[in-house]
Amino acid sequence: MALIPAQPSTNPGVKKDMEAVAALDRDAELMLRVREGDDTSFALLLERHRGPVVHFLYRMVQNPSVSEELAQEVFLRVYRSRATYEPTAKFTTWLFRIATHLALNWVRDGKKEKGHESLDEQVVEGVDRQVRDRQPTIEQAMLYEVKMTEVRQAIEALPAKQRAAVLMHKYEELEYAQIARALNCSESAVKSLLFRAYESLRSRLAHMAG
Amino acid sequence: MNCPTKRNEDAEILLDYCAQALSPEQTAEFEIHLAQCADCSRLVEAQKEVWSALEAWTPAPVSTNFDARLYARIAAEEAQAGPAWQLWLRRIFHPPVPYPLWKSAVPLVAACAVLAAGLAVRMPDATTAAQPQLHADKVDIEQVEQTLEDFDILTPAVQSPAGSM
Repeated sequence: MALIPAQPSTNPGVKKDMEAVAALDRDAELMLRVREGDDTSFALLLERHRGPVVHFLYRMVQNPSVSEELAQEVFLRVYRSRATYEPTAKFTTWLFRIATHLALNWVRDGKKEKGHESLDEQVVEGVDRQVRDRQPTIEQAMLYEVKMTEVRQAIEALPAKQRAAVLMHKYEELEYAQIARALNCSESAVKSLLFRAYESLRSRLAHMAG
Repeated sequence: MNCPTKRNEDAEILLDYCAQALSPEQTAEFEIHLAQCADCSRLVEAQKEVWSALEAWTPAPVSTNFDARLYARIAAEEAQAGPAWQLWLRRIFHPPVPYPLWKSAVPLVAACAVLAAGLAVRMPDATTAAQPQLHADKVDIEQVEQTLEDFDILTPAVQSPAGSM
């Protein structure tokens, strides 16, 4: 893929589309350039969204290697769809729609058992990071470990759609309308999903105060 | 203001308050309600605790070779996609940029023109083919005259009036 700086498009069709999406977002504009054949814009999109997509999928499937595999598939699908891309919604909505679809399919197909890595491995990663960042005592590290295990288990215990809704709402800060499009349901259904999900989380995690 | 704990429809404001997604005016209005409503206060406290617990969950960093792996997969897919002529065909049928609707009519018009030209070329053949039929139907005048004369000869002569004998 050639690394050429993104230039303003000279194609009238693309220019018209770009004017239409100017109000939408910068990502849609980049994606229109990808549609034109500008691979640098794809690299920019990847740079902007790689982290959020991988992290969303990591929290959905709770397995680092599977989450990266699914994230690769998300970006592959984006690249494959470049020729037919139409900026009808925010780019992030489309991106998380693909990611959610893949994650829900993975959960539904019961692949969890096959590819599940030990939770201990993830806990150690978290503790290591915590130790490196703030140099906590062994006691603090253990407390963090217990806390994170509870958070992971509470999230994992949620039904898949509720889990996806909470993760998009809490970590990706998507709007209700965006979550609704990603989950292919109405906004009021999203609010209901979120309310029930947070209710479950409150009952499981409220004791962790302080 | 309706109490968010009483109606699910109003619960959105509670979530938005904890996510700090309310406007300053909405925040102020909700805080007035919070000061008076014990149920909401308890719920907000519990929700804030959940919020902070979730914030503590930091995911593992993305692998450093993530992009390289992705580009390798894209390159492999493009290599598998086939020879250049297939790529051109795909570009024709799935152009990267949509073009005006009238342009889609161009191939149809071209096809009609070819069809019309083909018909025009075939038309003279049709007239020449009909020609022998016309020849076959052509009446020989002499033969007809001869037949009529023969007919007159064979026909008994008309009886003359009695006076003329």
